Amino acid sequence: MTISTVSPRGFKCGFGTVRGGWLAALAGVGLGVLGSGPQILRAEDPEQLFVRRIQPLLREKCMGCHGEDPGKIKSDYDIRARETAVRGGESGERAIVPGQPEKSPLFLSVTRQHLDEWEAMPPKEADRLSAEQVGWIREWIAGGAPWPDAARTAEITNAHGSLWAAEDGSVVKTSGGLSSDWSNRKYKPESLWGYQPVRKPVLDRVDGRNAIDALLEMRLPEGLPVAGETDARTFVRRVTFDLTGLPPEPNEVEAFASAYETADLSRRDQVRMALIDRLLESPHYGERMAQHWLDVARYADSSGFSNDYERGNAWRYRDYVVRAFNADKPYHQFVREQIAGDELDPHDPEKIVATGFLRMGPWELTGMEVERVARQRFLDDVTNSVGETFLAHSLQCARCHDHKFDPVPTRDYYAIQAVFATTQLAERAASFLPSENVQGFEERQFLEKTRDEHLATLARLDALLLEYAQQWFRDQGRDPARWNAAVAAIQGQPEGARISGKRTPGRANLFEDARKRMASENVPESEYPPKLVGFTPEQFGLERVARKGLERLRWELDRYEPYALGVYSGRTRQYKTVFTPLRMPDNRMTEGELETACIRLGGDPFSEGPGVNPGVLSVLGAVKKTVPDAIEGRRASFAEWVASPDNPLTTRAIVNRIWMWHFGEPLAGNPNNFGGTGKKPTHPELLDWLAATFVEQGWSFKAMHRVILQSAAYRRSATHPAPKTLVEKDPQGTRYAVFKPRRLSAEELRDAMLAASGELNRTVGGIPNRPELHPEAALQPRQVMGTFASAWVPNPRPEQRNRRSLYALKLRGLTDPAMEVFNAPAPDFSCERRDASTVTPQVFALFNSRNSRARALALAARVLGEAADEPDAVRRCFARVYGRPARPDELELCLRHWREMEMLQPVKAPPAPPPPVTVRRDAVEENTGEKFSFTEHLHANAAYVPDLQPADCDPRTRALAEVCLSLLNTNEFAYVY
Amino acid sequence: MSTSPFFPCAGARALHAPTRREFLYGLGASLGSVAFTSMLAASQNGKEGPHFPGAKAKNVIFLMMEGGPSHIDTFDPKPALEKLHLQEFVREGKQKSAMESGKRYYVRSPFKFLRAGQSGADMAENWSHLAGVADDLCFFRGCTVDSVNHPTAMYQMNCGNRFGGDPGLGAWVNYGLGTLNADLPGFVVLPEVSYPQGGAANWSNGYLPAHFQGTPLRAKGSPILDLSPGEGVTRERQRKNLDLIAGLNAAHAAQHPGHEELRARMDSYELAFRMQMQVPEVLDLSREDEKTRDLYGIGHEPTDAFGRKCLLARKLVEKGVRFVQLYHGSWDSHDYIERAHGNLVRAVDQPIAALITDLKRRGLLQSTLVVWCGEFGRTPDNGVRGGTAYGRDHNANAMTLWMAGGGCRAGHTVGATDELGMAAVEGKAHVRDFHVTLLRLLGLDDNKLTFYHAGRFKQLSQFGGTVIRDLIA
Repeated sequence: MTISTVSPRGFKCGFGTVRGGWLAALAGVGLGVLGSGPQILRAEDPEQLFVRRIQPLLREKCMGCHGEDPGKIKSDYDIRARETAVRGGESGERAIVPGQPEKSPLFLSVTRQHLDEWEAMPPKEADRLSAEQVGWIREWIAGGAPWPDAARTAEITNAHGSLWAAEDGSVVKTSGGLSSDWSNRKYKPESLWGYQPVRKPVLDRVDGRNAIDALLEMRLPEGLPVAGETDARTFVRRVTFDLTGLPPEPNEVEAFASAYETADLSRRDQVRMALIDRLLESPHYGERMAQHWLDVARYADSSGFSNDYERGNAWRYRDYVVRAFNADKPYHQFVREQIAGDELDPHDPEKIVATGFLRMGPWELTGMEVERVARQRFLDDVTNSVGETFLAHSLQCARCHDHKFDPVPTRDYYAIQAVFATTQLAERAASFLPSENVQGFEERQFLEKTRDEHLATLARLDALLLEYAQQWFRDQGRDPARWNAAVAAIQGQPEGARISGKRTPGRANLFEDARKRMASENVPESEYPPKLVGFTPEQFGLERVARKGLERLRWELDRYEPYALGVYSGRTRQYKTVFTPLRMPDNRMTEGELETACIRLGGDPFSEGPGVNPGVLSVLGAVKKTVPDAIEGRRASFAEWVASPDNPLTTRAIVNRIWMWHFGEPLAGNPNNFGGTGKKPTHPELLDWLAATFVEQGWSFKAMHRVILQSAAYRRSATHPAPKTLVEKDPQGTRYAVFKPRRLSAEELRDAMLAASGELNRTVGGIPNRPELHPEAALQPRQVMGTFASAWVPNPRPEQRNRRSLYALKLRGLTDPAMEVFNAPAPDFSCERRDASTVTPQVFALFNSRNSRARALALAARVLGEAADEPDAVRRCFARVYGRPARPDELELCLRHWREMEMLQPVKAPPAPPPPVTVRRDAVEENTGEKFSFTEHLHANAAYVPDLQPADCDPRTRALAEVCLSLLNTNEFAYVY
Repeated sequence: MSTSPFFPCAGARALHAPTRREFLYGLGASLGSVAFTSMLAASQNGKEGPHFPGAKAKNVIFLMMEGGPSHIDTFDPKPALEKLHLQEFVREGKQKSAMESGKRYYVRSPFKFLRAGQSGADMAENWSHLAGVADDLCFFRGCTVDSVNHPTAMYQMNCGNRFGGDPGLGAWVNYGLGTLNADLPGFVVLPEVSYPQGGAANWSNGYLPAHFQGTPLRAKGSPILDLSPGEGVTRERQRKNLDLIAGLNAAHAAQHPGHEELRARMDSYELAFRMQMQVPEVLDLSREDEKTRDLYGIGHEPTDAFGRKCLLARKLVEKGVRFVQLYHGSWDSHDYIERAHGNLVRAVDQPIAALITDLKRRGLLQSTLVVWCGEFGRTPDNGVRGGTAYGRDHNANAMTLWMAGGGCRAGHTVGATDELGMAAVEGKAHVRDFHVTLLRLLGLDDNKLTFYHAGRFKQLSQFGGTVIRDLIA
């Protein structure tokens, strides 16, 4: 096979050997790479060794504590000059004995082998010297530890510098670091792979096979056979889970299996393609892809931290992502909308909703936090998130200093941050679109009941305060006349004119309004009653619970209103606290501070360094873009740069993710990090081929899926013909000689159980639902600022609860334990890749939980309703759970189990108690430290309709449910092959 | 050929080679196959440490007083506030939060102080039981943190990182030292009935493998969710179902040779089955003798709830649980500090003193480091709120924490705050240094206890810290 590469601009070059060739071909033509070459190791003159290796090494690894700040030299050991470096520090021993490395503490400590006498240096394990670096120190000391002066150093550098540069790696051009040392440091070419232009390999002869297979074969170890094609049933289950996150229905399995098995070999491709096309057109395709995307974006329906306020409108962003995938929105458009939708078209609600991406991080501003610090937290969050998500670069490493490993100066970090310096948070008006699911809004009645309760509590307490006020005047021996007049005057006002009524409609707060009136009339504070006068600890508590409860409800009630969790461009307004949804102000361009961007030294928001202009990653110098510094348009311009077909980070990042979504394994091992510390791609040519093809095909996800899913690699069996050879030839398991099975994700497990039992409500989109949580977790008291968050009250009707897991209300402060235990990621960090650990609590969640039992019972009842006889019932269970027929031995085993379990069932199962409609909350009142209690009403529980209950079923059904529960707990159900 | 699901990144692989142990949660009973047992034995000593073999502490009991106890009203008396009591002043500035700024007044402590033990430790006199073990305590008044916001400060104290998502202290310690008892989780949390601000992320495994996660034993209801099967499900039925699962799994495994995870998942079902018996036994305090229960104040108000936690903590440590974290609070006394702190101290004073006494008489105090702290201290002044309801606001610049046992420097008070208790001035150290010191007492080197995540090697102290030598005996 002949392979050559073309750059997107049509540059073509052939190369013979693939391994060395690929990297070698990149050298010199890369962006900003000034020259590089292979490492050549040979004995070196000790003086030259010092200039080339030792001095830079001392500067990088030692100087931080031993010279950089002459006022703070650790252990009195100064390494700036030979004299002090040789003399040593406070131990009193000579640190360097020229000619004798084994007697030199400097050498002994960097070896980390003599810890009894010499502490390991540098102290941090992550900073330890490589064996090669330790070798240089030994060689240099053995050679007499020469230390040429500045003039001699310059002389040596002039003579050898260019040769060394070619041998040691290349300097990379960026906007420049805070020091010239950083700007001039060298990078190994292999750590710069991500910044090189995408170069699509041209495959001359691929024998009609998929290019993917040709490129995989290129890196297949010699003598390693590949697994054969998997069978039809396994394939249909694999691809259905893969593209929809759901299992195939039994009739879909049978239809595909028979079509595939009866088709001529030549027509099998078409049969498969028809299946893939059907799945790509399924509305559940978008849901599955959205789950992947939202893992990266850190989707949640709440703000985290102290208040964990609900983000009532976040669901619209989630549905936007589903719609985008289902419509096969071109990725460059998808990127632009999420970064700058509001700037692209402020009149299109869809575009406003898309900017929800920028709001996905946890954020709040309470009175406890300094406003500027909170603002900086948002800016840091969004900068890093954009980097990780779109550019596969976690930019936060450059927040406090120039990046330690990658060519990302802190200047670039703040230049990108400057793009967002005029980005402001708002729950913005955005009318509902015809494509949005706006069903179920009547559930707000339950929240309104709670709101009315809080208002009634406050009214009652206000009346009490007015009484206590009278008592206060009596106790103080003061005349209440002026106070009483103030109260009467306020009572005479319409509610809307009162101070409290303006803030919270319907709220009676005569007492506090009267106090404010007295204050405004300059009555001394000592002459009217203090706040909350006369309250008992319980009353303090109840007042706070009701007041904070109203505050929290404002966020929840926003869910049913035409607002979007979004942003706008404008000046930065001043807030002390944010306890109510923020709307976009009319005077956004004129009021508030126009933030000037600068480097924040050490990441400290109050430590202003050099100014910066809005910009992009300078290491990608060839992908030019000027970002304007007007208030508006920064993000739109930046998004153009991100979504440019020439941006190699963007295109590689997304195809790497798509690949992982199909194979479980990305080509470049850290999908959020293409920098020097991330894993290198296992198949760089394939990654580039995919990236270039993706752009050629109009940035289409669906086209990319088709290409990947048609490959032989994707069809391979999970069983390898020569397991020993496989382990030997591919110990890392990265050569795609066999298909890797994977455990279903938390969401897939739940959804697949609901699908098997037939209970799954497949409605797409809409307000978040509240599935059944473990009842103890649901009622778990959860402290938020000043009160408890409301309990988790499941939706009243089964069809509301049993929606796909994607739609479950996702609160940062209350994760579903059953999801968490199966590795559903917490939305604190972007999840580049799901884990799939096996831990014992998973057994409790899947085997013992009420939810699992409910699914098993529903499945049993369903198959019994359909089956002709008992063996047929068991066969139907197998078809629904595994998507295959039961073997005779399995059938026999399960029938026997069923009979045995029926004997062990009680004649009647006791009915489950109805869910509680109130819950008592015991709290410690924070003003007084006294205990108090209050009752929370769980209004939706009054309308609760249970799932099918054991009490509804005869022993035969319940016994079959035990068979079903067991099947749902087996490995065959939990893994996809 | 299969890559361990725990180690998605190269750096982690190099640092912490996966073993079959990783597939087993720290919960469960003895292990089935010989191969498993030998692998477990190898990992019981811990993958990473200890880095300093001579360290005394093997276990930690961490008493987390959530909400921020006032150092000024507990262990750091400030007589100078007497003169300033109720004097008003105004504080402004861009670097102040709404809480800190505006009109304020000084507040003297409503508590009298005494000097306890041979060491003459300063204590508010309502710590009457704790005063009895004063010479076992090492007070540290120099600790500072970065945040005055509850959840961020809680995250910083518990996980090192203010913004959450990092592994909790107990996760790091177990990662460093490994488990002492494979039948129980290595990191157990005894939360209040209501979870603290920031929630379960305070005992997260963060980016460490899942089995390092803290296991909360719930204060009410079932200690572990779904530990037992539903009501009416007999052990016999449970066993028979497990046998069916095992039968189906065995046939399936035979068709998928080389898929190693299947075996681990099969074993986890057997471990779970045994745990259903064992965990309730460990949690049963009724077998403790009457005198011990009395010592902890169990059966009496207001000490019963925290007394139970302290006794359970001792039992868990005896059983080999590495790290037990107890929550109490909220200590967030903005107003009425006399009443609020008074009630809180009454609830914990006797149980904590009992814990130290009990550990000591059983010879466990040497190897058990007890830590008492909150997420920050409190201010000598207060915002103008109720007028007479004297309390204190949050203070990141000063707090008092103390340790006992585990090789700490008992009978000493280290560090000092200024005359008013506003900021640490002597022996001042950031909480990261305290974390590094805590690890050092356990024989762990923070700089070596690292894990590769999101592009760099992460550690508890975030970017490294310094051991506070004065806190170590």
